[in-house]
Amino acid sequence: MNRYFFYNFILVSFINLMLYVPHILMADRYRGAVQSLIIGAVIGTILLYLYTGALARYPGKGLPEILKMHLPKWISNSLISFFTFMWLYATSLAIIAFAIMINRFFNPDVHVSLILAMLVLACGYAATRSSLTVMFVIEIGLIVNAPIILFVLFKAGSNPHLNWDAIRVIANYVTKAPTLASTAAASFIFTGYINMSLFNRLMPPNSRFRHRWIYPLMGFVILLITFFVPIGIHGTETVGNYIYIWSITADSLLMQYGFIERVLFLFLIVYLNLTLVFTMSGWHQAMEFVKSMISNHKPEIDSEKTPLSNYVIVGVFIALTFVYLLLTNEKLNMLISTYWLIFRMFVEILLVIGIFILSRRRPRSA
Amino acid sequence: MRNVFCCVILLVTVCFLGGCGFKDIDKRFFVVATGIDKTDNEQKPYRITLQLALPSPKIEPGASKAQLETIDASSIAEGVRMLKSHVDKELDFGHCKIFLVGEELARSDYSGMLQWMRRRRDIQSVADIAVAKPDAQALLGVKPVSERYPGNTLFLSFGADGTDSPYTYVQPLSEFSKRAFEKGLDPLLPIIIPDSKESYIINRTALLNKNKIIMVLSPEETQLFAQLAESYPKSSVRGTYEDTQVVAAVSDIRSKYRMTTQGAKTVIAFKVKMSVVLEDAPENLYKQEWASIEKKLSEDYSRQAEELLRKIQQAGVDPFGFGLRYRANHHSNNPNEAYEKWLPIYPGADFKVNAKVNIEGTGLIQ
Repeated sequence: MNRYFFYNFILVSFINLMLYVPHILMADRYRGAVQSLIIGAVIGTILLYLYTGALARYPGKGLPEILKMHLPKWISNSLISFFTFMWLYATSLAIIAFAIMINRFFNPDVHVSLILAMLVLACGYAATRSSLTVMFVIEIGLIVNAPIILFVLFKAGSNPHLNWDAIRVIANYVTKAPTLASTAAASFIFTGYINMSLFNRLMPPNSRFRHRWIYPLMGFVILLITFFVPIGIHGTETVGNYIYIWSITADSLLMQYGFIERVLFLFLIVYLNLTLVFTMSGWHQAMEFVKSMISNHKPEIDSEKTPLSNYVIVGVFIALTFVYLLLTNEKLNMLISTYWLIFRMFVEILLVIGIFILSRRRPRSA
Repeated sequence: MRNVFCCVILLVTVCFLGGCGFKDIDKRFFVVATGIDKTDNEQKPYRITLQLALPSPKIEPGASKAQLETIDASSIAEGVRMLKSHVDKELDFGHCKIFLVGEELARSDYSGMLQWMRRRRDIQSVADIAVAKPDAQALLGVKPVSERYPGNTLFLSFGADGTDSPYTYVQPLSEFSKRAFEKGLDPLLPIIIPDSKESYIINRTALLNKNKIIMVLSPEETQLFAQLAESYPKSSVRGTYEDTQVVAAVSDIRSKYRMTTQGAKTVIAFKVKMSVVLEDAPENLYKQEWASIEKKLSEDYSRQAEELLRKIQQAGVDPFGFGLRYRANHHSNNPNEAYEKWLPIYPGADFKVNAKVNIEGTGLIQ
């Protein structure tokens, strides 16, 4: 089931805009962002190959099962609770960023927490479904939205105001050594493989990850567009002082004969869908991780009845998201998300290498 | 039980829905054009004029009705907020596609105005900006007889839907803010002049530096600029041949330039290739050799273009983006270094225009 992997990869690479990745890259545009793009892509590609290679040896098993198989219970449980936190954090960050953005662009009169409440109710409900259902929702969400995103990217790329001189000015800074924050931000685009930690459960036996070369290629193209198109449209200087750089870029585009003229609204609606799907998928994974820590838990991928525990766990997630919203603000959220991206990169490197070593110690036939 | 639960959730959700951000469309005033002027009052330097659309039951030429609201304020943000108390409905900038800057303001300092526009979320980046002569308030008082709905005339003049004039240079907000901060690329704005009480003339272009108007291009120069900088096709070229005036409509034009250093001098060499159809030409030209008239037209064009380029150079502005090109070609470790090197080079740079006019035909008659 290669397409499951494909969807997860594409979803995460598109969602990078929500986690301030372009903003972090733009801040470093004179200070090594370009080289960070390359290093980030290399790191992302290596991790992607290692992780898919390792998971292929455990068909139908998720990360919790793999850890339990090899490690004492207390270690695996504490690792899994740590990963739960990681998954929950990324997705809550995205949904909060989006709630703030809706408040900014659509409806400044409504309080952010009310907007967030609407969003989390939808994601929360979707996250409590079975793994297979969640996977299908991701599939439908992407099939509906990806063409529109590609359209916006195309519109941006073919804009007559795209200034190639500005792009060349920044591209020349490829000689600068990469920075940690930018590298972490760039490698995030390739991190869709990590969602296979759970969705590997859906992989049937004998399945292989095929055409893996296509992912680094696609990721790198998305990365280049994410970084260079706003520079071309806003110039080398102005690009640095926008907070929601891609929303502004979408707003600079005009669909003369479109249904609505401002591309911004199309862009925001599509990204609303993607953020909801991303949050649903992240919460679902975090929820399954929590459930896997219960001692006699048997993972199910398509249960008939939704267990009560799903609602309880996701309810806690929703509460935590609200607490986070109350404790932070827009500026802090961006700062934390920068540090989180760096932290995430190291955690992922350790996780992937760890799982890879475990998988090599296991005979291929088993 | 479950169905009841779902119904309750849905009903609760519906309560939060409210189109138009809780204010109905008939409780809103749509601002269709905003004018910002400078006053003589030190305490209240800004005069803000809003053109508010009055919905009319019929859409026909001349049926457009608008209300003008003017206020003097110490800052634009305050003025707009204050204006809310002058009207009975909520002001909505969502349809404001035209911003007029009074000439006096544009000649003193536009940066405060630009910052306000960029910060406001409901001001679209695709809105067009123009300089109003003598001032924005007077210009907004003009009532075009052919206007079908408020603000439409100005909007059509700028958009590609209505007239397509080579003398009207269009600058959206995103492009303006890019040029206002970019190192090596300066902004330019169209100038609108009221023509009697019933129409506008938009055929001049103001060249600005980073905070005010430096020079104004005549209609002919505006067209020439559009041809050189943007390869604007729907335009004309002019020259003389054997003492008669020749005017040709451009059907296709390609303009590009290269920057080379020859010894201590930097040479900016334009190559302009165009195909034209004669509109105004000596009689019986059809049977003659066209090469000589092509050569003459090319020479005339090159001379005019070189004159314009030198004139702009002497004014010390850079609307073409030569500085940005220089930065793209000359990498420096420090982002400012290449630009600072460029600044003394520009006044001494040499321009060469190599135009190649290709006559496609003489129109319908010989």
